Amino acid sequence: MSEANQFEPKIIAYVCNWCTYLGADLAGTTRLEYPANVRIIRLPCTGRIDFNLLVKAFEIGADTVLVSGCHPGDCHYTAGNYHARRRWMLFRELLDTLGFDLRRIYFTWISAAEGRKWQEEITRITEETRKLGPYRELYKKNGNQNPSLATEDESARSALECGGLTPPCPRQGMDLGKEGGVKPPHSKAPLAQEQKLRETCRKLLEDGTVQVVIGYGAGGPVFIRRAEDAGKLVWNTNCQANLATYLKRKEIKRLGKAAVVVKACDERGLVILEKESQIDRLTLRVIGMACDGMGQPKCDACKVHQPRFADEIIGEAAAQQPETPHATETDALMQMPPAERMSWWAQEFERCVKCYACRQVCPLCYCERCIADKNRPVVIDTSATPKGNFAWHITRAFHLAGRCVGCGECTRACPAGIPLGLLNLTLARAAEKHFGYQAGMDPKVEPLIGSYALTDKEDFIR
Amino acid sequence: MSEILTKAGLRELAKEWNAQGKVVAGPAQVKPGLVLYAPLASADDIVWDGFVRAANSAKEAVFPRHELLCRYHLEGNRVELTNGGAEVAAQILLAVRPCDAAALPILDHVFNWDYRDEAYNRRREATTVVTLACASYDESCFCTSVGLGPQAERGSDVMLFDLGDEFEVRCLTDKGRAIFAGKTQTSERTAPLSKGPKPRFSPQHIKQFVDEHFTGPFWQDETLACLGCGACAYNCPTCHCFDIVDEGNSQHGERVRNWDSCQFAQFTLHASGHNPRPDQGSRQRQRVLHKFSIYPEKFGEILCTGCGNCTRNCPEGQGLLTLLTGIEHAL
Repeated sequence: MSEANQFEPKIIAYVCNWCTYLGADLAGTTRLEYPANVRIIRLPCTGRIDFNLLVKAFEIGADTVLVSGCHPGDCHYTAGNYHARRRWMLFRELLDTLGFDLRRIYFTWISAAEGRKWQEEITRITEETRKLGPYRELYKKNGNQNPSLATEDESARSALECGGLTPPCPRQGMDLGKEGGVKPPHSKAPLAQEQKLRETCRKLLEDGTVQVVIGYGAGGPVFIRRAEDAGKLVWNTNCQANLATYLKRKEIKRLGKAAVVVKACDERGLVILEKESQIDRLTLRVIGMACDGMGQPKCDACKVHQPRFADEIIGEAAAQQPETPHATETDALMQMPPAERMSWWAQEFERCVKCYACRQVCPLCYCERCIADKNRPVVIDTSATPKGNFAWHITRAFHLAGRCVGCGECTRACPAGIPLGLLNLTLARAAEKHFGYQAGMDPKVEPLIGSYALTDKEDFIR
Repeated sequence: MSEILTKAGLRELAKEWNAQGKVVAGPAQVKPGLVLYAPLASADDIVWDGFVRAANSAKEAVFPRHELLCRYHLEGNRVELTNGGAEVAAQILLAVRPCDAAALPILDHVFNWDYRDEAYNRRREATTVVTLACASYDESCFCTSVGLGPQAERGSDVMLFDLGDEFEVRCLTDKGRAIFAGKTQTSERTAPLSKGPKPRFSPQHIKQFVDEHFTGPFWQDETLACLGCGACAYNCPTCHCFDIVDEGNSQHGERVRNWDSCQFAQFTLHASGHNPRPDQGSRQRQRVLHKFSIYPEKFGEILCTGCGNCTRNCPEGQGLLTLLTGIEHAL
């Protein structure tokens, strides 16, 4: 007997309590027969389905996952399914970039009256899954071992093989102490900018407008608290860090009213932070630096060079927005077949040691207690295994969906050189493609996640 | 008189070790600008020069980031445990730096003082350390400040010295002699002494300072730039904190140990919600204290080999050296 005959697909269905679950119930009470391959997990609402659950279903051996809830307009909680719909538009793009087999993920609407639709859908999904065969590619590297079982000793260690891609950008750290490596940024008058910056900060500290200036110094970020120290501020190509991340830290908050030095790209993050009530623009002073690029790869595609919302804007940028978007690593990645993409990411993530530098440098990762640190129950394995690493990077990227402003700090900070920003870039592109949304560009626009529109697309329904 | 081996010869020898079933790990170019220690699929992947040191540390060969301790299976009232102690292949750490090698005898103390840690020791015993002396250093290096240097022999079984197209090989232990026996030629060429970075601070001063300044504004003021990630600790050859977690469900699963870092806010968080190290200042103080006071008091040596990886890997360009030179100036 061939394997195809022996194979019984395992399908996990996350269904909402009010429509699809009742639809399935109706199928049962009206004696409609459908394959017994589906395991139903009842949740209050599709809007309540944590995307981690979908990934988890595959990890524990599901071949296919189905999400189903009330038809648009029928939600018991008015709008839960609209939220699910919007999130799903983004999440499936992330899964696609990571190389998940999207043919194995179904999303549909089934009402309490549609027992027959439930029967038809489950029959169809089972048949289609049977044709696809078991899902073996999950988290697999180069098609050999199954890394979800990789707790064996040697497999946990890092390996070498690099993907077939053009190697993504190396880590762009600050060239500390290497004077030769420090260049003024390519703006019109960097030295004048530096001088103006120092003067501005001196004044702010002198007249007591702020108690601390968060700025760039010769050896990394500096926290200037006395007017006479304003001369320690610098402005050159080493000013790569996004200093907005310090606004979330309680060690900085307790220094008093702050002024923060930001580049135009960093400033986009402040727009999001304000929208999410994380900063008070009435007390925070923002010093925006015009910037024509720091020589980082992200700068080539940068859309903003001139700060727009800062209290003080220093300098004038000359760089223009690139007319045609560059071919990026994402494009190269998306040309691979999904299984190969997953293998590529598995190789990249294999180097992850879970130091969480990506989270700590991110100005928008401000949770008091990150989901990765929750241990009752554990949501994301703390282990640096393929399973634990995929779970972490999926979560990190998706928690930034519609929020990430592309400052690229995650990629810059990663000691293992994993191009984490690619995941965020995928989501940013999806947000733009589907919703015309660019995070942090317009303070008047509602946050993408957390709002919805009746006109949102649902071409993923199948 | 010395023993020498050509670079090509060493590559061939490494292939031989591979063929014997030994794991050969060494520095490999993972991406442009990034060299990491990793098990080498082929000795051709090893890079000898063109970098100061790998961005990670060689400790991972004896103390992996993730290690299975045992598997459990629960059925009714019965618990079945299977030991995770799988066989470990003999491994050779090739062309690691003296600051990596020196970390191993330092780590031996903590994994053997009140309890003999099997998981650590079985890897340690299976490991032969072939160190390549440093030919260069950068602004982050400070081995000479902690009593080591570019040619320090501590922890090595064999020392290699780069002579251009060949290596001078100095076998220091029987373990080392065993893998190089009959493979080298006698020569007149010997490696010259090389100079390391200028000493930046005195460990005695650091100990004195941290013992006298447990409280005070220094720690808060000097650590404001620290974002609380584990990039320093996880790439440090001597940091060895770990967390033990159970992964699985109520029927079966695994008990594993994973790296942990004192720089994480959760590291000392009590179940009550109280945190004895509530801010980054106290966490950084702990790191310095542990390395320059607690460990020396307990085991008689500094828990730092001056590799500078904390600085190289810090996203904000901080690291121990910044703090230690700050202390030296504050005295």
